[in-house]
Amino acid sequence: MTKPPIDLLQGTVDVLILRTLAWEPMHGYGVSRFIRQRTEGVLTIESAALYQALHRLERKKWIRAEWGLSENNRRAKYYSLTAEGRKQLREEAATWRTYAEAVFKVLEPV
Amino acid sequence: MTDRLRWYLRLPWRSSSRLRADLDDELRFYFDMRTRELVEQGMSEAAARREAVREFGDVEYTKRYCLAEDAMSSREERRTDLVAELRQDIAHSWRTFRRAPSFAAVALVTLALGIGANTAIFSVVNGLLLRDLPFGDADGLVRIWGSHKDSGVDRSQISAGDFIDLRTRQRSFTTLGAFSWGGGTYIGTGDPVRLAGARVDANVFTVLGVRPYLGRTFAAGEDSTGANPTIVLGFNAWRRVFGGDSAVVGKSINVSGRSRTVIGVLPPSFFFPTMAEAEIFTPLDLTPMLRDVNRIRKFHNLGAVGRLRPGATLAQARSELSGIMGQLERDFPASNSNMSVATVSMRDAVVGDTRPALLVLLGASLLVLLIACANVAGMLLSRAVSRRQELAVRAALGAGRARLVRQMMTESLVLALCGGAVGLGLALWGTRALVVSAADRLPAASQVTVDATVLLAALVVTVASGVVFGLVPAIAASRGIQLALKDAGRGASGGVSRHRMRTVLVTGQLALAVMLLVGAGLLVRSLVSLQNRDLGYSIESTLTFEVILVGDRYDSATAQDQFFDALYTRLAALPGVVAVGGSGNIPMRGGAMASLAIDGRPQPEGRLPEVGYQPVSDDLFRAMGVALKRGRTFGPQDHNDAPSVVILSESLVRAFWPDGDPIGARVRLGPNPNDPWMTVVGVVGDVKMGVANNSRPTAYVSARQDHWGGMAIVVRTSTDPMSLLPAVRREVRAIDPTIPVDEAHSMKQVQSKQLTDRRLPMQLMAAFALLALVLAAVGVYGVMAYSVAARTREIGVRVALGAQPKSVFGMVVRQGLGAAAAGLTLGLLGAAALGRVLTSLLYGVKPTDVSTFLGVAGVLLAVVLAACLVPARRAVRVDPLEALRSE
Repeated sequence: MTKPPIDLLQGTVDVLILRTLAWEPMHGYGVSRFIRQRTEGVLTIESAALYQALHRLERKKWIRAEWGLSENNRRAKYYSLTAEGRKQLREEAATWRTYAEAVFKVLEPV
Repeated sequence: MTDRLRWYLRLPWRSSSRLRADLDDELRFYFDMRTRELVEQGMSEAAARREAVREFGDVEYTKRYCLAEDAMSSREERRTDLVAELRQDIAHSWRTFRRAPSFAAVALVTLALGIGANTAIFSVVNGLLLRDLPFGDADGLVRIWGSHKDSGVDRSQISAGDFIDLRTRQRSFTTLGAFSWGGGTYIGTGDPVRLAGARVDANVFTVLGVRPYLGRTFAAGEDSTGANPTIVLGFNAWRRVFGGDSAVVGKSINVSGRSRTVIGVLPPSFFFPTMAEAEIFTPLDLTPMLRDVNRIRKFHNLGAVGRLRPGATLAQARSELSGIMGQLERDFPASNSNMSVATVSMRDAVVGDTRPALLVLLGASLLVLLIACANVAGMLLSRAVSRRQELAVRAALGAGRARLVRQMMTESLVLALCGGAVGLGLALWGTRALVVSAADRLPAASQVTVDATVLLAALVVTVASGVVFGLVPAIAASRGIQLALKDAGRGASGGVSRHRMRTVLVTGQLALAVMLLVGAGLLVRSLVSLQNRDLGYSIESTLTFEVILVGDRYDSATAQDQFFDALYTRLAALPGVVAVGGSGNIPMRGGAMASLAIDGRPQPEGRLPEVGYQPVSDDLFRAMGVALKRGRTFGPQDHNDAPSVVILSESLVRAFWPDGDPIGARVRLGPNPNDPWMTVVGVVGDVKMGVANNSRPTAYVSARQDHWGGMAIVVRTSTDPMSLLPAVRREVRAIDPTIPVDEAHSMKQVQSKQLTDRRLPMQLMAAFALLALVLAAVGVYGVMAYSVAARTREIGVRVALGAQPKSVFGMVVRQGLGAAAAGLTLGLLGAAALGRVLTSLLYGVKPTDVSTFLGVAGVLLAVVLAACLVPARRAVRVDPLEALRSE
């Protein structure tokens, strides 16, 4: 890890969680590990922020929680995407793409 | 507690301790997993755990944050669950009703009638008794009447002298205002229009707190002698007569031959209290009355209103005014002995008479609703039997007892709300009908509308009835579940207590119906005795109308005599006319009073006795059908310059001439000691005055010797009296086209109109009683039919053992009559106990009238018998083999 990890805005955390859960239902630890691996450590979500986001998204009914058994047979809380969450993910992803493209257009000539 | 409640309501939400434990589990899992991962990367166990906690961030804050979010989710979940269950229950109720449409229809109609009746009556009560009167701050408004302590008359007038003394000496009111009767004839371009009105002093409108619709009301001084003549128009007169033209304000109009400037128009909601017919208002000048020594305290013609000073109470005002009147009684015994005032709040003054009737009707409609609820409860109880299997299945599928009770209650409430909606429709229609039929008797009827208060009351009544009729079957059903699970729908176990409950319901229903029937019966009998009582005159085939002579040309007595002589002659010549007469007032409208002094008798202590006073035409008694008992009636010889003569009524004669012969005696009528003595020339039969008043001792004088400038004309005919009206108008116009024919009715119409405020409660009560009877009959039928169905096997056994059809029939009927007897006994006892509330509405019949009670008992037994007939015949037809095999 040569560069320090980038701090993330709350909205970013939300959309990353939604995207992660779109693969398959996961427990909180799984989500944190997945994002770490996927971004190769560039994006580090502080676990505190992650859990806060999970509970917040559950309240918004974008994700749903169920108790299940983990890989090592422990009781774990699994989160999965709801239909509403999927819709939200599509919208947010589109917004992100537009945003990123706009930023790139400005940065391009450098 | 919350957990218990949650369990009780069978809801899957998590408690806060549960939420906390879950969160701890979730985080512990994370830390364990992360620690293991770090250990795998080569850290020591302890270091790994420290690192996991360190890199996590703020654990405590996160816990708090997550718990708050979870709590919110849980609350929302709870809400949506409740809503979902409610929707489920409502949908289920709907399906249930769809599956049993006849049950739903009967229940719906029953409830709609009960709720509709209540809402309609309540809207009237609300409009008349609860809502504000259309006067600024009506609470402080007070109406002051004259009262006579000796005769018990407490709604009469005050003399000008007494009024001035009351006004100046009192401290309880901001001020007092005086008014008197005084309409006029508007003479414009078209036909002359007779307008009822009042003369008011400059205080009256200020006291009433009226804001004019246009212009202004009377200013101080405008009621004094010599002021510019002015007039204020009521809203209706302004619309009807002046076409709602606002330019009329400021213009001069001709009223009864006098030019008056219109200064204002009153708002549409305004009615003049206790004189609601008044449409025009002119200033009242008290000075002439105060100057006239014979009129200042002996001429009672004023009404008074006052507004209580802030902080003053009605009771204080009442005792203060009575005190002042007591002083006046000591100061002026000749005029004021036994005179006092009745101080009444304006609301009581305006609607006081209708209050008992309204409250009785409200009570009656509540009884109807109770009966309706009992009916629906009974129906639901029966249904619960056939639904036991369904409920059992639902219970088996995990619905808790509370959930089932809730579902049953939801059904009841859905039923109640549907019934309430239909009932509200009925109420809207009923209220309008009520207002229309009561409009001319109740000045405040325009206040009656279905407003927010009424809607709220309807909702409360609806929900309350839903709870009342829903709770019993719901509890019974939930109690039956265990039983039902054991013997799924077989036999009649559990039905015994339910049947007892239904019998209790029916008995109660019958008792309530009996009470309503007794009430209705008493009111019907009152009306019948009112209509059939001997009035002392005949109202058959009689036309009456009023003529008021307007204009300077009628100032002289001769001119008035000429007009009326011409009128009587012309009318008598019309085909179909039997006799024509004229009187100051027709008896139904009451009349004037005068003090009576008898020549040669010592003056009594204090005030002279008061008797009725009426100027009449020569032929009036024949036209009215009043019997001449002694002497003669008036004739042309009793003209203005002839010696004064008088005819007395029998009751007056009885009071003052024990030997019954006053002919030739001399009396003086009225307060002026300089008036000439009048010789008694005849005695006539007594005449009933007003609506329910007894005959009043009355002295009649010749209309040729006392000219009122107007007469109530009475035309006795041999045909339909109203058919004569066009001819009558033609004749009046032929004599003088500026004189309007006013208040033209047949005497029957006048009586019927006067009985409206008695007929209306009677009709409503009768309608309620009929409704109650029908509902109770349906209830009896329901319980008997159910009982026969439940006892099919027993009846089968009896028949198999040789019971005759007659005895089976008798057994069922006896059971029905048993309930009827119990209900009847309770109802009659209740009626006897509650009958007193009807006293003020009754005439000529006691609240415990035996024949009414017996009649009601007969009707009820007959109806119950009829309701038992079908189930009893079904019982007779029970086939024993079939009945036994079905087990």
